[in-house]
Amino acid sequence: MVSLTINGKVVRAEEGEYLLAVIRRMGIDVPALCQHEAVEPYGGCRLCMVEITKDSWDGWKKYVTSCLYPVEQDLIVTTHSDKVNDLRRGILDLFLARNPETPLIQKLAADYGLTRTSYEAIPEPNDCILCSICTRVCDAMGFSAISMVNRGHGKEVAPPLHQAPPDCVGCLACAQACPTNYITYEDVGNRRTIWNKQFELLVCDKTGRPTITKEFADYLIKNREIPEDYFRIDDASHREELADKMGRITRWSVTEEAK
Amino acid sequence: MNYRFVVKPELCIGCRTCELACSFAHARNGKQGRTRIFALDGGFKDLFVPVTCLQCEDAACAKSCLVNAITRNPETGAMDLDHEKCVRCMACVAACPFGCSLIDEQHELVVKCDLCGGDPACAKFCPTKALEYKPVTVTALRPAI
Repeated sequence: MVSLTINGKVVRAEEGEYLLAVIRRMGIDVPALCQHEAVEPYGGCRLCMVEITKDSWDGWKKYVTSCLYPVEQDLIVTTHSDKVNDLRRGILDLFLARNPETPLIQKLAADYGLTRTSYEAIPEPNDCILCSICTRVCDAMGFSAISMVNRGHGKEVAPPLHQAPPDCVGCLACAQACPTNYITYEDVGNRRTIWNKQFELLVCDKTGRPTITKEFADYLIKNREIPEDYFRIDDASHREELADKMGRITRWSVTEEAK
Repeated sequence: MNYRFVVKPELCIGCRTCELACSFAHARNGKQGRTRIFALDGGFKDLFVPVTCLQCEDAACAKSCLVNAITRNPETGAMDLDHEKCVRCMACVAACPFGCSLIDEQHELVVKCDLCGGDPACAKFCPTKALEYKPVTVTALRPAI
């Protein structure tokens, strides 16, 4: 255990923990757009920047991304000093230039007193904030179907060569994890389209409701040893089957007792 | 984990108080959650069965979770789902053979029974004691293979 000071309060933290986790645990609102519990910290959005210093540093200060900075003994952290807020405002200014129409960015910028960018907004803006949560989640799940491509102003999320990704199983984790709903998909009947790839959804034998894609089920059967039988029906039908079985056992045991 | 749900379907009158208790116990942001327990038709006249997560030993939900969001809580023995980690791929919803990993559409979450942290609300509210949560003595252990 180490002890450190955050906004004047002394807190204890596990060794190896990152600053942001400790700050969040204290209930302090530090913005972070590229943070997701399922993946490793990334330091992409730079908004979780905090000011750190130590008594032994002779008044020197550092500005670090708290999501990537491990806790240290006797660290003194300030999360909302004027300088830190200024830094965040500068970053949000750039975000506003890139994503002027994204509600998440607009709201966050408004919290820091910005309504419009001081730069020239890009001509055809989209909602992608380049947080890379989608690609990192895809990596964490073991598919790596999409990635960041190009650099600088041309950077974007894309499948290889902008074609239907061969490794995608259509699990929708990228779209679900996207903080701005930039990644779109379409479910029509038992067909799903994402990243321009067509998938067939498994349907419940009893109700006909679609569940997950055939490719995803095949992956789970093969790599996670889930019996194929489990994907035959949907969750509601599974519950009904269980109730039916338990009902029959109950009826049988009650009549046996009566004999 | 010597506490278990003791379910007696012959006592269940299908009043769904357990569903209501669960829904309120799992409210978020002032909105009721989806119930994790279901009083379902047992296939015979007037026979209802309360169905909820069985907290399987070799759980399909945990095996199917590719980001390890579902883990065993050592204190309560429940398979707990970490909503912060969950990426809503629906693998566990499709994989659970008892259909007890489900989608809460209102909150846009995948949810499952967490035993309310060791004190299940459903069992407390059951008027006929069809559903109880009580300590059990282990009389038979699974034979070692």
